[in-house]
Amino acid sequence: MPIGRLVRAGLVGGIGVIFVSLVGLMARISEINLIGTQVTGAYAFLALVPFAAAYISVRPRVVAGRLEELTAGRSVSFGAVTGLAAGGLVAASLLFTSWYGVERIREVFIEVTQELIDVLSFGQSAIVGASILVLGGLLLGAAGGGFRTLAPEARKVLATAISATLLMGLLQRIIPIAMLQLGLDPDWMYDPISSGLTWVGAAVTFFVALGAAWLWARRGRAARETLRTMTREQPGTRVVVGLVMIAILATIPWLVGSVISEVLGAVMVFMLLGLGLNIVVGYAGLLDLGYVAFFGFGAYATALLTGATLNTTTGSAAPALSLHLNFYVALPIVVLLAAGVGLLIGAPVLRLRGDYLAIVTLGLGEIVSILIGSNWLKPLVGGPQGMRNITDASIAGFSFRDPQHFYYLSLAFVLLAAFVSLRLSGSRIGRAWNAMREDEQVADAMGISTTRYKLLAFAIGGAVGSLGGALLAVRIGSLTPASFVILVSITALAVVILGGMGSIPGVIVGALVLIGLPGLLREFEEYRLLIYGAALISIMILRPQGLIPNVRRSRELHEEDRSQDKWAGDLAADEDTAASLSPLGEGSG
Amino acid sequence: MAPLLEIVGVQKQFGGLSALAGLDLHVDEGEIVSVIGPNGAGKSTLFNVITGLYAPDGGDVIFRGESIVGLRPHLVAKLGIARTFQNVHLFPNMTVLENAMVGQHCRSKSGVVGSVLRLPSTRREEERIRVRATEALNFFGSRLSGYRQEQPAFSLSYANRRRLEMARAMATDPSLLLLDEPTAGMNPRETLELRDHIVRMRDELGLTVLVIEHDMRVVKGVSDRVIACDYGQKIGEGSYDEVAHNDRVIEAYLGTKAVG
Repeated sequence: MPIGRLVRAGLVGGIGVIFVSLVGLMARISEINLIGTQVTGAYAFLALVPFAAAYISVRPRVVAGRLEELTAGRSVSFGAVTGLAAGGLVAASLLFTSWYGVERIREVFIEVTQELIDVLSFGQSAIVGASILVLGGLLLGAAGGGFRTLAPEARKVLATAISATLLMGLLQRIIPIAMLQLGLDPDWMYDPISSGLTWVGAAVTFFVALGAAWLWARRGRAARETLRTMTREQPGTRVVVGLVMIAILATIPWLVGSVISEVLGAVMVFMLLGLGLNIVVGYAGLLDLGYVAFFGFGAYATALLTGATLNTTTGSAAPALSLHLNFYVALPIVVLLAAGVGLLIGAPVLRLRGDYLAIVTLGLGEIVSILIGSNWLKPLVGGPQGMRNITDASIAGFSFRDPQHFYYLSLAFVLLAAFVSLRLSGSRIGRAWNAMREDEQVADAMGISTTRYKLLAFAIGGAVGSLGGALLAVRIGSLTPASFVILVSITALAVVILGGMGSIPGVIVGALVLIGLPGLLREFEEYRLLIYGAALISIMILRPQGLIPNVRRSRELHEEDRSQDKWAGDLAADEDTAASLSPLGEGSG
Repeated sequence: MAPLLEIVGVQKQFGGLSALAGLDLHVDEGEIVSVIGPNGAGKSTLFNVITGLYAPDGGDVIFRGESIVGLRPHLVAKLGIARTFQNVHLFPNMTVLENAMVGQHCRSKSGVVGSVLRLPSTRREEERIRVRATEALNFFGSRLSGYRQEQPAFSLSYANRRRLEMARAMATDPSLLLLDEPTAGMNPRETLELRDHIVRMRDELGLTVLVIEHDMRVVKGVSDRVIACDYGQKIGEGSYDEVAHNDRVIEAYLGTKAVG
């Protein structure tokens, strides 16, 4: 038994739990009731850690060139060891804390409170709590090991059902509202007091998800195939599918209510940033860390073109330059100007690649952020105080200030940006970007002007980014430099990477996960960056191609393993053919 | 008739090393010219200078009567000079067809507006690109046709990668094709097959071919003229037999007889 490895996996999990506890996240997630009042976020997390650690530690390994899978019995017992290590470490820390004194530890780790101890000891005494942790770790570890022995499809179906149940618990602020709006009674599903799923609701969700996942596993491919043939053979179906999707998208703000609509508005601003950055980074392969420049430019240019007032210490003032154009007249101007800014930013960095490009764009982005907040540009954009009273983007009196209305405006922008991205990626231009990303020098030698296509990527990426800025400007009608910091560039890049570079659905999911979830769970606000970091690290290790990868990009990431195999195969094949051929009867030189 | 390509006294130094030391050569329209020479003779450097990847330190490169020195590589490609690389350089994650379609890039012109709106002219052009790319692939018979066209380039065998690289170059509709060791790493049968392909490139497609090659059977089989280089200079030129019996060439390959 490779005891060292198993214990190590468990200890890593245990350290994770301790870390999450020390930073205060554990106490925070214990306030979220997922199912009843029993399954809180904290307990779900505590259960998940030994389970996952065990599941990972018993994965098949390559031993002496052969993939070695463990027998079922070994899987379970090995998993139990890992789970025991995880639970044991947490239990030991709990005992140590109660022996040493919560108050004394709190002098260093201020988030260690009696409530945290109560959570970790399940409301019992420290000894009993520690025993539960150890025993629970053992059992869950065994379960995690056992899970590995199931058939892959069964694993997938079960995992889907469990995650779906937990997700429904997490979405407790959306689903009940939507049910009410639809005239359904949510009380049987969501407990109005604990606000989590009821046990009945959880069971129903679990079995429905189980059934759906099972059906999908069996018939999903066939169903997708049928749909594809249908849309190909009958153009009418395509229109119908499109209309249905648009109808669903259109009813969302009404379904989820004002608060969630506001979150969705923020999500879609970042979807736009992600889609724009995806053109630069995902399609053209140019790592741009200063993308906030376009966001800021779009926002302030929109404000100046449509009219706004500056915030000053004495009240308000008119900006040095202010046109009073209609938003929809100003928008094309903003987009064109932003494309121009893209060219300006692109031109000095044309010769740079990789790290150097990233550093220089980072600097250029910072310059724009600082200019926005500077005293020098104060007469134009209000300096640190920013501006307000930006003209609304209303159409015939229909205002988009209301979050539920703003959703439609941003949806239109996102659909537009996605459409443009999609068409470009499938065109001659997309092909040129692809070629350039894969091998710049060869693309050049094959007749692609890399200068031109780099600039084009910066210009179009910048134009899409400025749409995001314009949205932000009209969303609440005021702007301050605090919205245009480097963190925006980093978040947009995180959206692209998490979703999958070069993938439009990836960007959409990435923005929903990175912006939507934290917006939904306000408890996590101060831990947002911590969670981003954790999410990015896990995605880079577990799924470097992103959540919904672009086929080609994921090929790139697995290139090395594959080309090695491929070469080995080729060599063997070549030798065979060569050996089977008779010597050539040609004269040699 | 003026030659299609003329190299006049081209020099290229890398630090203290003279890769090209005043090389002269010319290629006439419709010829297949082989460049041979020991490793380090400056053959690949010559290709890089012609295609604009390197700027020469001196001398001139004249294509169709005009100097192309200082032009960026994509402009050289547009003028009608296409090349392959000694170490195959494909776009490995693009499909075989897409690789060839990239070749047509410099012969098409759809812009952003046309691509986004998918205008009729863009669609026609895209169709034309596809047809032309498929033609270039089908030049190699069944090797690169059918289901293979939808596979990523990295999945191809070594010989097929070389063929695809040639197809991609041919898809740029060049008048002059530069092949850098096209048979390197191919087995004898494949080498033989490729020899016929090079001849067909001239006879059927009317291409002029300048080829760097080490396999003397290929050189003998395809060349109208052979140019031998060493130390960045031409040391012999003529028919295959003339060059093969040239003393300086033999010396370059085998060394001089020990004196005494």
